[in-house]
Amino acid sequence: MPKCTIDGKELEVAAGMTVIQAALQVGIHIPHFCWHPDLPVDGNCRMCLVEVEKMPKLQIACNTAVTDGMVVRTNSDKAVQAHRTTLEFLLVNHPIDCPVCDQAGECYLQDQYMDHGLHDSKVEVEEKVRKRKVVDLGAIMLDAERCVLCSRCIRFEREVTGTNSFEFVNRGDNTQIATFENRPIEHDYAGNLADVCPVGALLSHDFRFKMRVWFLSETESVCPGCSTGCNIFIDHRDAEAQRLRPRRNVEVNRSWMCDPGRTLYKEIAVTERLTGARVKREGGWDGITVAAALDEVAAKLRAAGPAAAFMASPQATNEDLFAFKALADSLGGPLDFRVGGPQRLLRERLDQVLQRKDRNPNTQGALDLGLARDGVDAILKRCASGEVKVLLLQGVELLRDPSHVDAIADVPFVAVMATHEGPELDRPDVVLPAAMWAEVDGTFTNFQRRVQRIRAAFPAPGDARPRWELAAELLRRCGGTLAAASARDVFARLAAAVPDYAGLDYRTLGSTGRALLLQGLAAAEARA
Amino acid sequence: MASAVDTPAAPAGATSAAVRVLRERFGDRLRAVAEFRGDLAITVDRSAWVEAARALREDPELDFKLFLDLCGVDYLDKEDRAERFEVALHAYSVSTKHHVRLKVALPESDPTVDTLCGVYKGANWFEREAWDLYGIVFRGHPNLTRILTHDDFVGHPMRKDYPTAKRHVLKKSKEWLLKVPEGSENLIVNIGPSHPAMHGTFRIQALMDGETIEDAEAEIGYMHRNFEKMAESRTYWQVIPYTDRLNYCSSFMNGHGWALAVEKLLGVPAPPRAEAIRVILSEFSRIMDHLVAVSTNVVDLGAITPFFVVFRAREDIYELLDACCGARLTVSYVRIGGLAADVPDDFEALCRKALASIREVTKQAEKLLTRNPIFANRFRDIGVLGADDALAYGWVGPCLRGSGVAYDIRKDHPYSGYEQYDFDVPIGTVGDCYDRYLVRIEEIYQSLRIIEQALGKLPKGPIITDDKKVALPPKSEVYSNIEALMNHFKLVYEGILPPPGEVYGYTEAANGELGFYIVSDGAKHPWRVKVRPPCFNIYQAYPQMIKGGFLADAVAIIGGLNVVAGELDR
Amino acid sequence: MGVTRVVSVDRNTRPGIIPILIGLRTTLVNLLKTVFLRGAATVQFPEQKRPTSGRYRGIHLLTVREDGTPKCVACYMCATVCPAECIYIESGERPEKTIEKYPTRFEIDLLRCVYCGFCVDACPEEAIMMSRENDLVGTTREELIIDRERLMERAKLAEYGPGYRPSENDVRRPVRIAALERLKREHGIVPGPPPRG
Repeated sequence: MPKCTIDGKELEVAAGMTVIQAALQVGIHIPHFCWHPDLPVDGNCRMCLVEVEKMPKLQIACNTAVTDGMVVRTNSDKAVQAHRTTLEFLLVNHPIDCPVCDQAGECYLQDQYMDHGLHDSKVEVEEKVRKRKVVDLGAIMLDAERCVLCSRCIRFEREVTGTNSFEFVNRGDNTQIATFENRPIEHDYAGNLADVCPVGALLSHDFRFKMRVWFLSETESVCPGCSTGCNIFIDHRDAEAQRLRPRRNVEVNRSWMCDPGRTLYKEIAVTERLTGARVKREGGWDGITVAAALDEVAAKLRAAGPAAAFMASPQATNEDLFAFKALADSLGGPLDFRVGGPQRLLRERLDQVLQRKDRNPNTQGALDLGLARDGVDAILKRCASGEVKVLLLQGVELLRDPSHVDAIADVPFVAVMATHEGPELDRPDVVLPAAMWAEVDGTFTNFQRRVQRIRAAFPAPGDARPRWELAAELLRRCGGTLAAASARDVFARLAAAVPDYAGLDYRTLGSTGRALLLQGLAAAEARA
Repeated sequence: MASAVDTPAAPAGATSAAVRVLRERFGDRLRAVAEFRGDLAITVDRSAWVEAARALREDPELDFKLFLDLCGVDYLDKEDRAERFEVALHAYSVSTKHHVRLKVALPESDPTVDTLCGVYKGANWFEREAWDLYGIVFRGHPNLTRILTHDDFVGHPMRKDYPTAKRHVLKKSKEWLLKVPEGSENLIVNIGPSHPAMHGTFRIQALMDGETIEDAEAEIGYMHRNFEKMAESRTYWQVIPYTDRLNYCSSFMNGHGWALAVEKLLGVPAPPRAEAIRVILSEFSRIMDHLVAVSTNVVDLGAITPFFVVFRAREDIYELLDACCGARLTVSYVRIGGLAADVPDDFEALCRKALASIREVTKQAEKLLTRNPIFANRFRDIGVLGADDALAYGWVGPCLRGSGVAYDIRKDHPYSGYEQYDFDVPIGTVGDCYDRYLVRIEEIYQSLRIIEQALGKLPKGPIITDDKKVALPPKSEVYSNIEALMNHFKLVYEGILPPPGEVYGYTEAANGELGFYIVSDGAKHPWRVKVRPPCFNIYQAYPQMIKGGFLADAVAIIGGLNVVAGELDR
Repeated sequence: MGVTRVVSVDRNTRPGIIPILIGLRTTLVNLLKTVFLRGAATVQFPEQKRPTSGRYRGIHLLTVREDGTPKCVACYMCATVCPAECIYIESGERPEKTIEKYPTRFEIDLLRCVYCGFCVDACPEEAIMMSRENDLVGTTREELIIDRERLMERAKLAEYGPGYRPSENDVRRPVRIAALERLKREHGIVPGPPPRG
């Protein structure tokens, strides 16, 4: 374990760690462009030059391994001069595009100019080399003039997706980044190209010209698109999500997420969102308050007792599931969640990068919390035979399968917690408006059995409530109590009741979650 | 306040004496001593709060008799602090010429501390404000009620977890501030808030025995817009238009004070030409304010003519300000590090025109007033406040100097190059309305002297600092190269990023020491901005001053205090 | 070094009857001067208007290119810096690859605006400036939220004149003047970003 000193701070690091990584451990950010923690080192930008004692020339911190006793200065006069000069060279042909470039606000050039540049320009604008602009590559837009030739996109395409779409063409100061014949990027990970590009050369087509990033607030969350559970940021303004981007978690998704996941923010602020409860009456639907709807549902549940059946949803958080199960247990009726058999797809890869076939974020959580109990088919049989008097659905999965809808045709009372309008909501008798994943605090357990927190970025619209709250309210009306006033409280109850989750709480889960034990074959499948 | 860059380490003398004395008396109840940009901040234990303040005030070596400011600060979610709240006291010693800041940290679970009303009379309203805005409880305070917000307001708006967008509907007015004693024949008279004599919107309720005022109570807060909360969500540049709306009679001076405070925090001085122009425009603003103060004061007494006479000069000053920056009142002309743009070519001509016009109208106003026996009878020996009381309340500016205390920041802690100019500081002897009037008139003449000297030696050079992290690059650069364009972008969307720390920047505004206590955590928005408003302290003494006098005298006194609601209520 | 003295004011002003007469004479002289010489200080608005300076911060206007489209590229600098948050912009794509962006919506709420001029300071494209128009009249609040089209109208500009705008003198380093001269000479461009190829 070599020991080193960086800018006067002493630290001990793992063998093989580079100076740039070591510096980050003590809060020192060495300026860089081409280095990326999740891509192989290239060392072409020459921005991370630092002064290492006893070495006559400056060394690039990204490719210099820490040796025992090394003394590094990242802000000596020579290093500062090197940073400024490198930046000046990088800017020689850079177009004056800031007003029209979406990268403003998260641009490495802008940020590093203020901290490491502050030099005067020596270049006249009409001398700059002109390159291709506004090249549509599908999910991303290319502007070759803005490119600083860091090759992050090339390395991403080579190492992560294996598609090798990008390469440098031409020579000298005409070098440009290009795809073959300007063909668009066709894999599901194009969004990451916009993330890795440190400047505005590669930008998201979806986010183009939508909003300046400094207006956005970020909230940590987890993508609900599949059982991988990539860590993300929800970027939002004025209670509306504007985009999703990956949050680094070396255990789960590194710095990446898939494009289908990125589009999920679009489902949140649509007009189809359910904002109020409604109940089916003789002449049609009546909008009522959530409290009144809960009263009606609870009355039916109380009357039914063990003749009430419960179908949970693997879209729900652990807190939602725990409250739902508590409700089911208090009444004694059958309970399950496995509509469509998500547990079979839980660990199956959809591609070689991130996506999995189970398109639910919390199948593992539902398994852990014991919601795979009485069997979906068994419950449906009991519905068809008339044993089930009340069916409470935590999500709309059952209603989307026509054969299942037939099976429950004779159930006298069906209530559902739903987020969006849709034809499947014709069947139930009571519809309760549920909050979505971006609007609640909670946890998902991903395919690795990693329990990860999601956080509410903005409130749910109208009367929509978190699912755990709806279940807790029903439980209260049925004579029980969850004894929890917040998602944090529910999780505390959960951790006390489920042995594998013992000792966990929101603080210990932190930003990157905690992995529970996985056995044998499942463990092998679970490696990210 | 010397140029920010030259600020030396805490000078030997009373300030380190303060540390020594407090350490001797309180041992390790003296929690911390910090020094930043020449400011000394001493943090004491809650149990030592009152005694430490008393020691600062009464120890002859320390003599911090001038009460300046007391405010709360909310450090919610700041992990390096154990306690959420803090109360900061600022005081000044006229004899040793030192400022000091005394602080105490209070936990969220029990934000209580003893009142300082027994040590400094002026602490009364400030503690009410800290209670109102932060929910900090001051044990032993005679009347801990809301002062700036409405009585029915729920919550403490300056707390960091109070949402800025929250709205209250507040309709009830507080009819009675005083109670008529049982069985008496006293009458209660309401003066204000909609009253021409209440310059701005403030209210006094007086318990009358015939023409004599037996008791009086003030109600303020009608123009409270919570500038300080707005400042917490604005960059340092964006705060500038808000400062114009503090003392709007002399709006340039507020911006000047703000810019200097931020420059002190940054350690970045403005270039000499910018400072000289700031001095010129500040002195013109001071003249404007004094002309308003004097003329509106006598309008209340029925002498309307001087008002019409002096406003011609104000018109010339407005023309000058319009030529410089495009606005007459809400100038927003300063920038952090200098000024927005250089003065126009006819600057000197416009200044000279204004100078001539001011001289003429002031002479005329004097002819109409000074030796007029009606005026003299209405103003002499009315509204006397002695020097000790004035210091205890925190009086500053012409009002304090009228009471005989020779404290003028331009003389004692020169800033923006004031040390280069010759001028007199007039003081009164009795401390009555007449003295305050004479002081203001003389200050106008002295300001004219300063402006003429500054115009005579106006240096050439840049109008704003060349520190790229502070000043926008020139437009020609922004249009033509990427470096300046990026610099411009960063300064607009991120702004100035001062180092973490706190400063108290102070200037001699028209009403006296206008201070800005700025706490920065290194982010683009200030963490806390407390305006030390001179009128707040001055007006606090007013209900006491009018007791025992006639109602007509109360009207004569209020005008002479020059209370401007924008500054009083913020 | 300047010299400051502390001076006590002179209270022995000897008020009396004569000063009253002097005061009356002052007022009479003022009256005669006003009537016969310098005129009243007041202005007969709206027939007369008080003159404003060339830097006056009045109602805004969007500058236009030669083809009549706004110069603005919807960079949001003005909306970001505005202390009153009164500018609302939505952006769209322009086909010219050297321009790329333009405002599909650009609205200023003139009632929220505090006329500080920071938007003009913040604009990197010389796309927004202020005129000397200060006659702000409307009968509804909605009327005073002006849109892109109103901002590009020129009737009021002709009537009142241009006000607060970037100065051609805003040049700090002489080395850049040579570049500007070249731009002027060879491309006919005066401060502003050059057209791109």
